[in-house]
Amino acid sequence: MEMEPTGRYYDGLVAARRYVTLALTRDAGSAELIIADRDTREELDRWPVDSVFELAGLGDDLRLGAADRPYGARLTLPTGEWSTALREAIPGLGRRSRLERGQQRRVLAGAVAALVSVIAAYVFGVPVLADSATNLVPPAWEIRLGEGARLQIEAMLGNGRRFEACGSEFSQANRAIDRFAAEVMAGTASPFTPRVTIVRSPLTNAFALPGGQVYYFSGLLERTETADEFAGVLAHELGHVVHRHGMEMLIESSATGLLVGFVLGDMTNLSVAAAAGATLIDSRFSREAEHEADAFAGAAGNRLGFSPQALADLLGLVAEDTTMTRSLALLSTHPLTDERRAALEALEVAPAITRPAFSDIEWQSIKSMC
Amino acid sequence: MSSIATLLGNVRITRVPVKFTGTRAELFWRLVRGYLLMIPTLGLYRFWVTTMKRQFYWHNTSIDGDALEYSGTPLQLLIGFLFALAIFLPLYFVFFYLSTQVGPVVLVGYAVVAALFWFLFGYASYRGRDFRLSRTLWRGIRFDQQGNAWAYATRQFLWSMLVLATLGLAYPFMSADLWRYRYTNTWYGDRQFGFTGTWRTIAGPFYRAYATFAVLVGALLGVGLLTGGAAMAAAPFLAVVLGFGGFFYYRARESSRMFSEVQLGTARLRVEIKARALAAQFAAYSGMLTVAFIIIGLVGYLVTLLVQGQFDFTSLAGIARAGWIGVGLALGGYLASLAALSLMAEVYLDCGYWMLVARGATIVGIESLSTVRAGSEDKSLAGEGLADALNVGSF
Repeated sequence: MEMEPTGRYYDGLVAARRYVTLALTRDAGSAELIIADRDTREELDRWPVDSVFELAGLGDDLRLGAADRPYGARLTLPTGEWSTALREAIPGLGRRSRLERGQQRRVLAGAVAALVSVIAAYVFGVPVLADSATNLVPPAWEIRLGEGARLQIEAMLGNGRRFEACGSEFSQANRAIDRFAAEVMAGTASPFTPRVTIVRSPLTNAFALPGGQVYYFSGLLERTETADEFAGVLAHELGHVVHRHGMEMLIESSATGLLVGFVLGDMTNLSVAAAAGATLIDSRFSREAEHEADAFAGAAGNRLGFSPQALADLLGLVAEDTTMTRSLALLSTHPLTDERRAALEALEVAPAITRPAFSDIEWQSIKSMC
Repeated sequence: MSSIATLLGNVRITRVPVKFTGTRAELFWRLVRGYLLMIPTLGLYRFWVTTMKRQFYWHNTSIDGDALEYSGTPLQLLIGFLFALAIFLPLYFVFFYLSTQVGPVVLVGYAVVAALFWFLFGYASYRGRDFRLSRTLWRGIRFDQQGNAWAYATRQFLWSMLVLATLGLAYPFMSADLWRYRYTNTWYGDRQFGFTGTWRTIAGPFYRAYATFAVLVGALLGVGLLTGGAAMAAAPFLAVVLGFGGFFYYRARESSRMFSEVQLGTARLRVEIKARALAAQFAAYSGMLTVAFIIIGLVGYLVTLLVQGQFDFTSLAGIARAGWIGVGLALGGYLASLAALSLMAEVYLDCGYWMLVARGATIVGIESLSTVRAGSEDKSLAGEGLADALNVGSF
């Protein structure tokens, strides 16, 4: 241990290091920290104790600055007896960094509170907002978007060859489907003309595109046992069309991207992290859309006289599949939760109407169209 | 002070090594703490983590016995991020509009946006460097960066177009030009940095690596065509070994040679990095990442066993049916994987690279720096601006 406190001193004006000794004096009325060259004893500076502050950071060394000295003026003392003594002699040393830390904590707390309210507004507000924002999007815009998606999907399904749907345009099956779709859509004031396409594919899935396109895969058609099940799934998909869920999803996922980017600090959302996070959040909204489409299918069933519960039966049946295609199947986009099943089963069927959705002949032609 | 003095004619030349005293373990635990605090703060604590990380690197790096000081604060970064948001919001609307469009307009639109991003990336990286330098002190004197970030972005953008057009052959010219722009605009106090490198500095290693890569691809294609794909089984292995080997060789040479062209007045920097040290670091990174994922997988499996019973976590549908437990597990797994990826990259790749550069660096003629005076007061930069939002990879 050295006899007197020594440290390193940089005056903030010239890039030179000086080894100095320190002393505290009170003779000028207010206390001062006297900094003198260790070897020559020449006094280099006097820092008024009130203006001296400790710099927060890593390491145990005591690092000091002075408020009324150049920005980079520094005094460092290795950890030990003298740095402890100096801390005791100048109690206000840590005040500045404490104040800064306090300010930082307050700003952090404020920012977190703001972000929480943004997220809350997002979770509760965006479904509503997306709904009204969707109504602002011109239908012609959505139809054009659906047309682009159709070209892409048909190119994918065609697998390099020309895409071909099952059954000719004027076949009995397709005419029956068109009639049913028109009946379901009647009275909905939807600006879209439904177009249902049955596609040859092993996937057990069905989906709707923005603008009125609905696809039903032959893999699912094979598993579909009754006309009511078929009608239920179609009505559900047409529900997505009427509620413009495709457009809504687009608006919602853009908002999600913005939010996830904010939280993760990657506004480009190019990273896998951001993409995965956004998918996780978006799946929440898709569940709400499924409920709406189910309710639509239920209402359509009541009006036209088919049982919407058949939809739940079919979903339950497909849920028991243990094949590899399952992750790509109906359930991945249409998860059947117990809650959803209960909601479907609670839908009442008006007993007066018992007209089937499709005649036996129509249903047979649909079953055999692929 | 462990300087080695050599006598060269009448001039006494001192070589002062740069020292780095930090350890990976210390950084690791600090990062773990920071990541955990990011959960309740919804990610906002990342500005504090960045600041802590820089303090760790700066304060543990000492030149001629004096450590660097980082004087930036997390609030500056937070404010910078908010500014950057203002630029990103309009871009978001452009993205949204494009996603609802069909046909050639989309391709053109995305190309324009991609080009704009790339341009902004150059701007952001220059501004970020400015922010870090102006908050770096050594012996009480600040560093600074001048020049114009837009000019730099334009330069980088045009050069990279040329590099693209020449299939990468113009890269050494771009690299030398950008290094020169960065360093001739860098100041320590009132003294200006200089850069003496040219395209020739890295031409040798670059074109050797390039030629190796071209020959490798050509040979693989040729053999593949001749044997009808039969001999292709060994191809991926060969490609990985030669590809990585070439990359480490080149990266080590580029870092060593380019840094060694940096000078400050009469003081010169010398850096020597070995390719095998870089490769060893990458191997450590891959190994530890594997270990981390095995641990996450095991923990996930055990937790699933505990709560399993009626739940099925093999499909999205099953997770949805499991309700909050499923969402919690999915989210936990997602965050844990994210944290593992970034932790290992920070501790093994970033910290490793810093250690290699710092420990491989010596400074010749450092005593000339004792006459450097503080520069004029710097314009205050509000955060790193776009660098906070563009995910610009840097310390």
